[in-house]
Amino acid sequence: MNFSSSQPPPMPPETAELGAGNMPVPVWLMVLLFVLLYAGMVFFDRYSGWFDAEVYMPYASLADLQAFQPRGGGSSLERGRAVYENICALCHNSDGKGKPGQAPLFVGSEWVMGSPNRMIRIPLSGLSGSVQVNGTEWNLSMPAMGASLSDDDLAAVLTYIRQSWGNKATAITPEQVKAVRAQVGARSQPWTTEQLKAIP
Amino acid sequence: MNYGPLLFLAAFFALAGSWFGFVLTPQAQVGRLQTTNMLGGATLYPQARPGLARQGLEVYRANGCADCHSQQVRQSGTVCNAVLSETGTNLPAVLAALLKLKPALSEPDARQWLSTLPRPVLEGLKPAEADAAVKVLNGAGAKAAVWIVPVGPDLARGWGKRRNVARDFIFDYPVALGSQRIGPDLANLSARQPDAGWHLRHLYAPRLEVKDSAMPPYRFLFERRKVERSPSPDAMVLPPGLAPPPGHEIVPKPEALALVAYLLSLRAEAPLFEAPLSVAPGPPAVAPGPTAGATAGAAAGTTSTNTAPTNAPATP
Repeated sequence: MNFSSSQPPPMPPETAELGAGNMPVPVWLMVLLFVLLYAGMVFFDRYSGWFDAEVYMPYASLADLQAFQPRGGGSSLERGRAVYENICALCHNSDGKGKPGQAPLFVGSEWVMGSPNRMIRIPLSGLSGSVQVNGTEWNLSMPAMGASLSDDDLAAVLTYIRQSWGNKATAITPEQVKAVRAQVGARSQPWTTEQLKAIP
Repeated sequence: MNYGPLLFLAAFFALAGSWFGFVLTPQAQVGRLQTTNMLGGATLYPQARPGLARQGLEVYRANGCADCHSQQVRQSGTVCNAVLSETGTNLPAVLAALLKLKPALSEPDARQWLSTLPRPVLEGLKPAEADAAVKVLNGAGAKAAVWIVPVGPDLARGWGKRRNVARDFIFDYPVALGSQRIGPDLANLSARQPDAGWHLRHLYAPRLEVKDSAMPPYRFLFERRKVERSPSPDAMVLPPGLAPPPGHEIVPKPEALALVAYLLSLRAEAPLFEAPLSVAPGPPAVAPGPTAGATAGAAAGTTSTNTAPTNAPATP
């Protein structure tokens, strides 16, 4: 092969600038764009949850999410149990039998089975001094829990105490707790046995 | 550059638009998430990881665990089950209500069916249907409730009880979400495998614990040393092929213990408002402290609190 004698193939003449000319944008492309835009808006409307930080994918909106919240109804005892295990059980023990030198028992206690108005006051403001429970004398002080528990939580936990471990007393409603809280007001002193006995 | 200002504006809006979408909007949406109450209880969720587990996150990151393991359980939907827990005192009325809800059941079958409670009467319902079914049962004097049950392929694999949400990760930096699933999802690892000794053996030789595991062994997280006087309490117990020669022992380095503490702190099952479910989980995972972690190799079950039974309804 003789390279020196071969000529490079002639290049086609180049145009100065490539251009698309004055061709208009096809109509079908515009239609497709608007269809896609519409589909995007529909999807956005359906699944964005309006950018709520609490709405995630299987749920489409806040209302949808609320429909799937666990129901109150029969689970009020469950809620009471959760509050009890978190707060009360530290001293009163999970089985409601109390702990010697720390807190008296709940099982069959006349304070638990007795008047709701008395029982609600004890966790609200606390109780100190001598107290007779099932014939045993206790002389301790129970701190006030009223500030840290909502009416619903307090009612749930008191109902749990009144209806567990063989206790069978009426349930306590959030309205009762609210009424007692209003009567007690901003009391900072714990109750004594005599004061509680004076309450019907 | 006849179009200088136009080019500048185009570039400015392109960058500003993406900054707006990728930085500002997510920050406004989830940037101020805080610890919150779990559903139906006073317990706060999430809790910050204990110190050793926090160090373990660095080990997890440094070894590229997130390249093969994700930490995001997904959920494709949520269904409601109407669960009957007690028949109450009016058995004939409950039986009638049950037959109305389950027409396929014959009466002797229904009596038999009622002997093992609690169990779901109807499954896979919409919220309104479940409420109606529960109303029928409660109207007959029975005790029934609606259970919220998340469903999806990840949940069917046993990788969790609900989807992961942004709140699960507020104490993690960086968030080790991962994008590939060469190994299983680890978002609820400590719920599946709460044994620290298992994790140490699995890190040292994955196929000891999982047949045909594709995970590489992480033996550089362990050290082989001569036994001085008495063997170390956290020395690994290994089968003959892997055991060190007599007079030597293999013990986990601090990195391995931190990584295991981190793995044992992986648990995101608490029922939240944004991820509701009815199954009350066990107590939140607590990684073993330095003392418990140090003896984890020898003593299995040091974290038995993680395996507290849940009060899930019995499924037939």
